[in-house]
Amino acid sequence: MSTGDCIRQETVLDGVRRGSLPPELEAHCRECASCAELRLVAAALRADAEQLGQTGPPLPDPAAIWLRAQLAERDDRLRRATRSITWIQRATIAASIAIGAAFAPGWLARVRDLFVGVDLSPAALDLPRSAGSPLLVVAASFLVVGILALWELTAVRP
Amino acid sequence: MIPTALALPLDRPAATTDSAPAMDEAAFRRLYERTARKLRGYLVRSCGNGALADDLLQESYLRLLRSRFEADNDDHRRRYLYRIATNLLRDHYRRARPTTDRVPDIGRAPEHDTAFHLRNDVGSAMAEIGRRDRQMLWLAYVEGASHEEIAEIMAIKAPSVRSMLFRARARLAEQLRARGLQPGVEAP
Repeated sequence: MSTGDCIRQETVLDGVRRGSLPPELEAHCRECASCAELRLVAAALRADAEQLGQTGPPLPDPAAIWLRAQLAERDDRLRRATRSITWIQRATIAASIAIGAAFAPGWLARVRDLFVGVDLSPAALDLPRSAGSPLLVVAASFLVVGILALWELTAVRP
Repeated sequence: MIPTALALPLDRPAATTDSAPAMDEAAFRRLYERTARKLRGYLVRSCGNGALADDLLQESYLRLLRSRFEADNDDHRRRYLYRIATNLLRDHYRRARPTTDRVPDIGRAPEHDTAFHLRNDVGSAMAEIGRRDRQMLWLAYVEGASHEEIAEIMAIKAPSVRSMLFRARARLAEQLRARGLQPGVEAP
């Protein structure tokens, strides 16, 4: 009995697919270990596949898969449509942080001045006017907008 | 030698352009009816778990639809589907961090559905060989895939398929013979 790869394997496989082997191929399979092994495995797997196909539980509903795909597609379209808005929000956040960082030392100094050597002189009580400058107002506004944008971006959507 | 039952695909694994026409529902249903049972068989025998196989089956079709894959024909699309399923299966086991590629002992495997593997002798024999062996054998002898197609679906080198398939076949044949199955004898 030969054990190497056999040139008749393809013919044997065709016979297995058809469901029967001609007598001469039957005889060959008794002599050729490689073809016998191929026949055993291929026939067993095909029978198994047939049985699984006939006796398995019902398949998942394709309508549900289709619907899930449509919903995912809609989400994708929405994400693409709002991409520019998202980028504007990100740019606002970045600008706010940059401006905030630029003014941070000045603000810290002012705050520190307020709490170091507190006096109740008229100049200190006049805080809003002394602390406020047009640039500070703009920067603070940007910060607020930035925080709002950040909150909007990170909000959990249902 | 495994015959080339399916034509080789073009070198274009996935088309994901926004302008690609999506498959309509009727075409999807036709593809599903033609392929789902066989694909589930492949997944069931690959993972040995009916519930997991159904999850992966649905996810495979979902990804196929979302990929907007433009196939030349249904065979091309079917190969792509098997490739998705194989990748999903691999990802599943990668996430689970298996210590070996072999299926754990049936009694001790946490998610092993014995009903599927022990339903017959072939199933229990399949459970005794490695997952990759099972996938390869199924693709070759049930799906009739060529070596090149197996390589494409399983993301392995085509020249390696021949020897890997030969060894896998020998391992399964040994298990089948141990269960008393002989050539020409129908599996129960």
